[in-house]
Amino acid sequence: MPIEINWQLLMPELVIALTLIIVLVFDLFDAISKTVLGWMTIVGAGIALWVSIQMHQAGTVGLQFDDMFKVDNFSLFFNIIFLVSTILVTLISMSYLDRGDRKQGPYYLLILLATLGMMLMAAGNELIIVFLGLELMSLSLYVLAGYFRESPASSEAGMKYLLLGAFASAFFLYGIALIYGGAGTTSVPAIAEAITAENKSPLLLAGMFLLVVGFGFKVAIVPFHQWAPDVYEGAPTTIAAFISAGPKAAGFAAFLRIFMEALPNLQVEWSGVLILLAMLTMTVGNIIAISQTNIKRMLAYSSIAHAGYVLIGLAAANNDGISSAMLYLLIYCVMNIGAFGAVILARTEDGESLMISDYAGLGTRKPLLAMFMTVMLLSLAGFPPTAGFVGKFYLFKAAIGSELYLLVIVGAINTAISAFYYLRVVVTMYMREPEEELEFSPYASTLVVGLILAVVGVLLIGVLPSLMLTPAQNSVF
Amino acid sequence: MLLSIVIFLPLLGVIAIALLRGLGASAVKGIALVIGLLTFVISLGLYTGFNADTAMFQYVTEKSWIPGLGTSYHIGIDGISLWLVLLTTFLTPICILAAWNSIEKGLSGFMMSLLALETGMLGVFCSLDLFLFFVFWESMLIPMYFLIGIWGGERRIYATVKFVLYTMAGSALMLVGILALYFQNDNSFDLTTLSGPFEHSNLLFLAFFIAFAIKVPLFPFHTWLPDAHVEAPTVGSVILAGVLLKMGTYGIIRFCLPLFPDAADKYTPLIVTLAVIGIIYGALVAMVQPDLKKLVAYSSVSHLGFVVLGLFSKNPAGIQGSVLQMVNHGLSTGALFLLVGMIYERRHSRMIVDFGGLSKRMPIFAVIFMIVTLSSIGLPGLNGFVGEYMILLGSFVQGAFSKVHVVFATAGVILAAVYMLWMFQRVMFGTLDKTNEGLPDLNAREVVVMLPILLFIVWIGVYPKTFLSKIEKSVDVVVTKVQAEPAMGHLENPGRQDSRLALRETQRAQHEKVEKEAQQ
Repeated sequence: MPIEINWQLLMPELVIALTLIIVLVFDLFDAISKTVLGWMTIVGAGIALWVSIQMHQAGTVGLQFDDMFKVDNFSLFFNIIFLVSTILVTLISMSYLDRGDRKQGPYYLLILLATLGMMLMAAGNELIIVFLGLELMSLSLYVLAGYFRESPASSEAGMKYLLLGAFASAFFLYGIALIYGGAGTTSVPAIAEAITAENKSPLLLAGMFLLVVGFGFKVAIVPFHQWAPDVYEGAPTTIAAFISAGPKAAGFAAFLRIFMEALPNLQVEWSGVLILLAMLTMTVGNIIAISQTNIKRMLAYSSIAHAGYVLIGLAAANNDGISSAMLYLLIYCVMNIGAFGAVILARTEDGESLMISDYAGLGTRKPLLAMFMTVMLLSLAGFPPTAGFVGKFYLFKAAIGSELYLLVIVGAINTAISAFYYLRVVVTMYMREPEEELEFSPYASTLVVGLILAVVGVLLIGVLPSLMLTPAQNSVF
Repeated sequence: MLLSIVIFLPLLGVIAIALLRGLGASAVKGIALVIGLLTFVISLGLYTGFNADTAMFQYVTEKSWIPGLGTSYHIGIDGISLWLVLLTTFLTPICILAAWNSIEKGLSGFMMSLLALETGMLGVFCSLDLFLFFVFWESMLIPMYFLIGIWGGERRIYATVKFVLYTMAGSALMLVGILALYFQNDNSFDLTTLSGPFEHSNLLFLAFFIAFAIKVPLFPFHTWLPDAHVEAPTVGSVILAGVLLKMGTYGIIRFCLPLFPDAADKYTPLIVTLAVIGIIYGALVAMVQPDLKKLVAYSSVSHLGFVVLGLFSKNPAGIQGSVLQMVNHGLSTGALFLLVGMIYERRHSRMIVDFGGLSKRMPIFAVIFMIVTLSSIGLPGLNGFVGEYMILLGSFVQGAFSKVHVVFATAGVILAAVYMLWMFQRVMFGTLDKTNEGLPDLNAREVVVMLPILLFIVWIGVYPKTFLSKIEKSVDVVVTKVQAEPAMGHLENPGRQDSRLALRETQRAQHEKVEKEAQQ
């Protein structure tokens, strides 16, 4: 049977696949400067981003491949999140990789491959496709986490991520199997139909909980979060930025799609669990972050806490909840990559300064860097007029709309707790005198461009939120 | 439009300084002062064009901002916010001038923080949209945080973190309250369309009230204040005491009283008791402070207790007195902090024991200090008297809380005289220490800083009608709302409304009498 393919619907994925092949081929030629590969990645992702935005605005939607692949505003909005993350991460990676004789070709290749996996996850209308996307993404990330082979920390991070990630994938697959057992199908809309008030078999419930565990691992929700700080700390900083951004968004994309679209009839069962997990994740993430002295570990725990905020949107389980989770993921990706970018910018001759105490006096010695870092941290803490404030406000609003008062109070108190450790870095930069004078390396231009983009994005969305809020509100399936 | 210009002109100054900071310190100071003065001059236009015959919001601008969130850029002022706006625009240039020579490092950052703070404060007083209000409320924190944290004293980091965490804990609750109101206000954050009764009004009242009580600060939420004041640079203290604390009392009068009259009724005894404890406690602790700045800080706790007392008297005299007292406290305490700052710059000590006999060395300083001290105590003829008298009178005729409260509060006035005059005596009279013999008197710049404040201290004291006449109508609206017959819960008392109306008539008569007395 011939398959009819609507190429137009697949444009963003095709562009990324094509870029992938081009990068692969050009990597063969030693004569070509490896930074060119980085620019190719950016251009490819940029085109895919532009195409996705066009399709989103035009409302180009449709199903492909026997309804297994669903292009709608939801998946397109997530494409925008992934591609923005990919572009920013590539920008901050270029100068980072450009020291020593590191192989750069496979790095960009794997980033593109992971991006493709994420796009599959967001568009998966079939649990198996979601799983395929998840594996494509995860396998690329395992390699990327251990990319610096000569560094034991990086290798350890890669190995740890692989083991725990494989575990999570197994849980996820087992969940799919049990749901298949209960519903007799793995297609998202068909599952929704199969689950009725009468048919809530224990198999379905068990499958659902296993999916929660699997997603919990992938997006680092407490109590499935233990891998995150170790991996973030050991992995190359750019990859830590990448893992904390796009893949987390992809995990939530599939999470949203499956729970809101395939399992809405089990909402009574899962909403309580998600509320509990959201509270736990925010609180544990923020409280442990307070005691961190290493900035990468601090950002790791903060990113766990942010997964908790996004869960508020899922727990709210209304239209506002879905769009607020999507908006927050977009904002979070930009500000988190920005924060990691600032960490990379604060580089000395012997590598990055990772101890928060090293940042003392940065406010006067490196005003630009301190400004970048401050804007990102204020946004992460949720102060106006940054994007982080709008995102959080919208999440809380959605939850109050579902009358989850306690959840919002816990969330709001967590915001105050988180301000404590984010501001502590700002305190160190502006208010403390340095104990020893560290020699910071000069700025790399691509890195600065990436950071400027992030700062502009964070402030622009903060002042004119409608720019992204309206698209997010139009993207609920 | 005029109001928007006033709010955002300081922000323009921030951008100008950021771009032109390379021109050197004097250029930065010049820009900041020009912007500060310009904002003040333009804001005077708000006063001259203000119609005192209506309680409606004036200078209203309403523009769609984030339709997806149901929020708009909606600003406007009434008689209550008018004076707080003017107080803010008045104190900011004074602060810029006061900081002229005392900031050694990061001058441009200091001026930028100060001007950004001004925009935030003005925005809070002018917002008629709950979301906008919250945005300004939160964004104010960052410049204040830098002001104390970078240019503050030794324990500045402890003080800033405490300040920020207290405020954020409060605003977390307020955020939940604002969102809950949104859904009860037909999915809109517009303050002007909000009308009760609301569901869960007791909880909502508490959510807002605690946030404001922390800011005021009402006993027992006051512990951040002495730390913040002592560690803040002079200008930080002036702004903190002069304007920031007023956000709390402003919030109470704008949100807590008119929106949740039932809950306000219910919690009045508790709140008034806390206010009276604050008055006495603040005064007693101020009395034993060895540090001048700490003494003034604790006197703020005492004075703000009076303001809260007056607000919860829920009658025109008391609330008008409170609004006036907010302005008075901003002027007197602001002036006290400036004077303490001036003496600290000379002697690098704020300990009362280090001084004595200064009046011989610094006669101009002594005279100004005397006037401000007396204004803070509430001497008739100066501003403090009018406000305190109206508050006490309003509280005394009000039946909502017992007269015992008022009696104790009045004792606070006496205590104020004790700690202020005792402090004045120890600093100004007695034998002059050798180390203090070389202290120069105030220079021309410092006199220029103080004179405008003295002018208003006397003006309000002698002719408060200028100020009260604009406040009156807006306060009446609040009083009507807060005294309106509660929807339920008081049905067993049908005569209540009549007695309230009668009470209001007597209050009005009394209040006119007060005004006459105060003018004499």
